[in-house]
Amino acid sequence: MSNVIVCFKWVKAEDDLRIDPATLAVDLSKAKGKISDYDRNAIEAARIASESAGSETIALTFGSNDAKTALKDALSRGPKQAFWVNDVSAENADGFVTANMLAAAIRKIGSYSLIVCGEGAADTYAHQVGPRIGALLDIPVISFVKEMRIEGSRLYAVRKLEDSLEQVEADLPAVVTVLPEINPAPIPGLKAVLEGGKKPVTEFKIQDLDLEDGDTSRKTDVVSFKGCSMSRKKILINEGDAKEKVTALVAALKKEGVL
Amino acid sequence: MAGVYVYSDNTELCGELIALARTSEQEVCAVTMSDQQGSELAKYGPDTIFVLKGQNHAAESYSGAIAKLLTDQDASLFLAGATVRGRDIAAQVAAKMKAGLISEAGSVNFCNGKISAARYMYGGLTEQVEEGKGLTVITVPSGRYAAVNNDSVKSVVVSMTVDTDPRIKITGSSPIVKEGADLSKAGRIVCVGMGFDKKEDLVIAHKLAEALGAEVGCTRCIAEDRGWMPAETYIGISGAVVKPDLYIALGVSGQIQHTFGVRDSKIIVGVNNNEKATIFGVSDYGIVGDLYEIAPLLADAIKNI
Repeated sequence: MSNVIVCFKWVKAEDDLRIDPATLAVDLSKAKGKISDYDRNAIEAARIASESAGSETIALTFGSNDAKTALKDALSRGPKQAFWVNDVSAENADGFVTANMLAAAIRKIGSYSLIVCGEGAADTYAHQVGPRIGALLDIPVISFVKEMRIEGSRLYAVRKLEDSLEQVEADLPAVVTVLPEINPAPIPGLKAVLEGGKKPVTEFKIQDLDLEDGDTSRKTDVVSFKGCSMSRKKILINEGDAKEKVTALVAALKKEGVL
Repeated sequence: MAGVYVYSDNTELCGELIALARTSEQEVCAVTMSDQQGSELAKYGPDTIFVLKGQNHAAESYSGAIAKLLTDQDASLFLAGATVRGRDIAAQVAAKMKAGLISEAGSVNFCNGKISAARYMYGGLTEQVEEGKGLTVITVPSGRYAAVNNDSVKSVVVSMTVDTDPRIKITGSSPIVKEGADLSKAGRIVCVGMGFDKKEDLVIAHKLAEALGAEVGCTRCIAEDRGWMPAETYIGISGAVVKPDLYIALGVSGQIQHTFGVRDSKIIVGVNNNEKATIFGVSDYGIVGDLYEIAPLLADAIKNI
């Protein structure tokens, strides 16, 4: 079997977002980057799939210069090499642009039997890039997968729908989007981290890719981006011993009409 | 015919999308893959119901056929219900049509011939409003709009044979056995977080829940990492999204992937021994204290009301 390519996204850690309580303006400049949480499970799923099939795992991302750290992190999780579409437009890309870039990079990589994506990204949680890639490459897509196995050139998967589990199969090459529950995402050990820094990274620029006019322009305009005010009372009951705190809480909940 | 096209494998949600599409003052066309759903949709009064008939019974295999229909009919907007199938189909249709897709829109507005939609990002910390250019695809979760029975429109039913993708084969389906409670309908929820030291201690949460007549949920780490509770009972952006009157978080740190799932609760109570825990920033009432001490006291106090 040929390569398993896992796509991942380098996102801003939401815990570092700063929101001005008065204007609701969002400050992302202090936010550290991280591999999108769900993509960590996807990287491990790809590693397991390629190990069982005796093939190689390749990590692929579309990101700006910021994503450099991401590549080392991703490579410490098992993939043998990484490809990086490096363009600043990644910071403002929508699903249309991202899928165009990744699909074009996958075509350039050429040899693949399985593309693995997380079900959604931790920042946008838009669930669209995986199925879009399948449509662009004209290969089957199986989304929201919680179990999968490869036998020869056929993929057997269990999808999780709202009320049912569905057994689905398709010939490879195919795209799967995986749920985090497919497998844990182990934290890489020191040795793996050191090795990750030495693995090869191939960088693509947009002009290296075979793209059509318009493929690099967003399809939706962002009209506004602001913080949501969680209008909670934030009353901290911190006075007295445990019993007094509980009494105060019960009184408050009665007053709220929820007891 | 030009207009707004709607699809959902969930018939009620499709009714909600039809009601939303009506606000566009354009033609409203429903797309379905079965005669049965087609007849069920008639009560919501779309102008036209397109019944697509192909060889493959997997709904996702109709993405190409839907894209072709939208192109042939010069549709202005495709609204899909944000179910598992709907998200998959919407993204594939958008890719085939080189269209933008606004996912999981909480609200959709038609104004001066333009379409805009608001959606949460960063686990609900931020909201982004996007405006479509040209044909746009939007997915909408259930419960955002009310389905309206509309007898005044007699829907025209158009059946058509279409090509489906033969490459995906559904070989079986089994209902998810819900091991835990249906949290989405619970009026009161006690949530178990990583502040619990061992599985046996969950009895503390269950006793409090019993006193309250509440269901017990948990955070993703409790279900996925520790395996102490069924996956169906974890609350958060990728798990159950709940809206009880009373939500009590025991030993929950309050990461936003979790709190996204409880944001529509009426009253949120956090109990955590760390005064700086994020949960207190999203709680109505917080008790700084040891859950092992607070929860039993709270259970007793509630029993004595």
